[in-house]
Amino acid sequence: MLVLRFGGSDAPTPPAARRGGQIVASLRSEPRSFNRLVARDYATEVVTFLTQGRLARINRATFELEPWLAERWESSADGRTHTLHVRPGVTWSDGTPFTSADVLFSFQAVFDAKAQSVVASSLLVGGQPIRAAAPDAETVILTYAAPSGPGLRLLDNLPILPKHKLEAALASGSFPSAWNNTTPPAEMVGTGPFVLREYQPGQRLVFDRNPRYWRRGPNGDALPYLDRLVLEIVPEQNAELLRLQAGDLDLTSSELRPEDYVAVRDAEDQGRLRLIELGVGPDADAFWFCLKPEVKGKDPRFKYVQAPAFRKALSYAVDRDAFAETVFLGAAVPLWGPITPGNIHWFWPDVPRYEHGDKEALSWLASVGVAPRVADGVAVDEGGRGSVEMRFTVLTQRGISWYERGTAVLRDELAKIGIVLDIVPLEVGALIQRLLACDYDAVYYRPVMTDLDPAGNLDFWLSSGSAHLWNIGQKTPATEWERRIDTLMLEQAASIDPERRRQQFNLVQQIVAENLPALYFAAPRLYYAHSTRLRGVVPSVQRPAVLWSADTLSVTP
Amino acid sequence: MGRFVARRLLFTLALVFVVSSSALLLTRIAPGDVTAELGAFASPDEVAAVRARLDLDRSAVEQWAGWLARAGRFDFGASFLYNRPVRELVARAAANTAILALVALGIATALGIPLGIISGSRRGAAAAVIRAVSLVCLSLPPLLTSLLLVFLAATTRWLPAGGMTSVGVLDGRWSTWLADLAIHLPLPALALALPVAATFERLQAQSMTEALGQPFITAAAARGVAPRDIVRRHAWRVSLRPICGVYGIAIGALLSGSFVVEFVTAWPGLGRLMYEALRARDIYLVAGCAAMGGLVLAVGMVIGDVLLVIADPRLREERTG
Repeated sequence: MLVLRFGGSDAPTPPAARRGGQIVASLRSEPRSFNRLVARDYATEVVTFLTQGRLARINRATFELEPWLAERWESSADGRTHTLHVRPGVTWSDGTPFTSADVLFSFQAVFDAKAQSVVASSLLVGGQPIRAAAPDAETVILTYAAPSGPGLRLLDNLPILPKHKLEAALASGSFPSAWNNTTPPAEMVGTGPFVLREYQPGQRLVFDRNPRYWRRGPNGDALPYLDRLVLEIVPEQNAELLRLQAGDLDLTSSELRPEDYVAVRDAEDQGRLRLIELGVGPDADAFWFCLKPEVKGKDPRFKYVQAPAFRKALSYAVDRDAFAETVFLGAAVPLWGPITPGNIHWFWPDVPRYEHGDKEALSWLASVGVAPRVADGVAVDEGGRGSVEMRFTVLTQRGISWYERGTAVLRDELAKIGIVLDIVPLEVGALIQRLLACDYDAVYYRPVMTDLDPAGNLDFWLSSGSAHLWNIGQKTPATEWERRIDTLMLEQAASIDPERRRQQFNLVQQIVAENLPALYFAAPRLYYAHSTRLRGVVPSVQRPAVLWSADTLSVTP
Repeated sequence: MGRFVARRLLFTLALVFVVSSSALLLTRIAPGDVTAELGAFASPDEVAAVRARLDLDRSAVEQWAGWLARAGRFDFGASFLYNRPVRELVARAAANTAILALVALGIATALGIPLGIISGSRRGAAAAVIRAVSLVCLSLPPLLTSLLLVFLAATTRWLPAGGMTSVGVLDGRWSTWLADLAIHLPLPALALALPVAATFERLQAQSMTEALGQPFITAAAARGVAPRDIVRRHAWRVSLRPICGVYGIAIGALLSGSFVVEFVTAWPGLGRLMYEALRARDIYLVAGCAAMGGLVLAVGMVIGDVLLVIADPRLREERTG
């Protein structure tokens, strides 16, 4: 057995944290449920961070796995068996002892077909559910069907739910609607730092301190420091910022938009707000063509867009520094692949780059027989003498300011080499429908990676994946390079050797950069603002940027 | 009278039926559906499960027929966004909107009609200023008005910058809650009321000017009736007819909720609910909100009719006969 031992987790609390007080944070929408196993929306996720615990959690600031409801564990050498020891003395917020039975119940619920859990797929290893057993009340043994690269990091996806409150709902088949928005708050118990006290639909959620929370601060004082935390529902982002500046809010639900940065910096200069740079975001906007041969095979332009050389030409044509400057108003770094510098463990700085150059772009276009037409400069086939114009409709989401700027910059940059883009902003529902059906020429959109570990995003990397942007859900890989990525990613996900995983994933990034199925131009730097009275903020580039660690927050008098 | 009531009832039922059915069918056939809320790349199994749960795997007509049968029993389905019965969500939001709408209507009436009387019956600087302010209020988009008011509230701290109540009243008594509600109302109510007040003012002014040109007004003046009494006792009543005509529509529109104002000022009303439902293509919630919107519009029109009859007794016979 490979034995790993961890001590209690040390809260990164600043000195002089004061007990008491309340803070008001905002949410743009209401939680769809209070049961994270059946709802994946952001508001439900935030509520879960506040009210529930996991066996082990990923620290959103360091990205390291840390013990949580399990105080320590041992893993077998093959990485398939993990013995976890439940933290002693932990109780649910109603005083019921937390035991391994609750862990077993949570695994049972997540894999029960009747529960319709949205979390289940993230807890499959080798396509099989994790098996859980409990030899006693303090011990849980997890068995994986295959070795897993992420190992116990998978446990961050599973909030542990109280068996004594939800067992009957699971048995009766009503689990999907249990703990919905009409459930009395007193019925919902947790092991998190706060308990829901009141939910006023359309207005706010009020959380009180969980007096039975298990975690202690560095001085041994009971956490959380705050007596109350309020989540105000503020659907409009401009109004949300105004209310933050006015002092009505201590925190907002998301990072600042690039256009808000100057106003907030002014407020900081006046001592009204504190501005923090979270770092480079882990997600970036992508531009890609539909590369599904069965849908686009008859389109005369498909012959060109499916050629990596054509896409390389486009990559060379875009000045990424200017792109970052214009689209994100300077708050971004140039990017050449889907993994941004914000993903510190998996970003590969040596990924092949295509430095801006119109000559190189035209040369790569020429290599596939495309050149600007003499008469009007529009790129056409047959070296500029043909009739197939390189004109594409680009879909993007309506109402997102940086998408509008991004597509406008792309249109101008690609026009210099004769590629014509017609931009069509759509409502998100319509966009997704077209995207899933491959009913588009090209798309500019930000696909969000659900996990920073690439093994947690196999749906993006594998050719059969439902998030394999350019050609979703392939029965067999359409190209040789996708076949190679499939092989490497499956090996990578099943390897428990971190160095080998890194090497394999670097190779994947190299293959992607050489074939450019999706083009990336810039990764935004994320900024966040909060009130000056807030203390103990541990910011993260992942959402929720601050509330993931709400137990260490405090306020000055 | 009985025939009038029966006609109005039938009209209301027809309006609610047409509006809610159209909303359901149009939302259903519009591109995209509620499964977009699961994220851009949700697994096909998950998408299929949600589509089955919300009858999206059936044809639009089948879905509409099923919904209609249930709606007849006052079961309007469940919202996907909120995981709750539509009836409950719509009733709560409509009550919140009604509070806001009634206050806004009061402000609009109290401002618009007197100012319209002044600007319609006088000439000079005061009338010109009123006219100019009305035109500005009519021209400003509601989004801008709302944001401006939120900005003013946030910078001056005179009023809460949004929401319906404060956290502070959580443990308070009924009277505390009411007082807290009262300080939250002016901002969204003003945002709603200003354009309506401006509409009333313009209509009232125009109508007053026309009334003052009538022969019976000239006769009254010739009889030596004081100008103030001519306006108050004779011209105003006659000039009310066009106001009453739009009053019902204004009531209906205000009671249906303004998504812009409610969205910006974080007021949990019908307009915001409808907007969120439409954005997410939450079909049953859209249909429920539309049904409530149709209902309050019909009620507003009835109120408008009643006011018209009160203002102009000549209409009583023709309306009720």
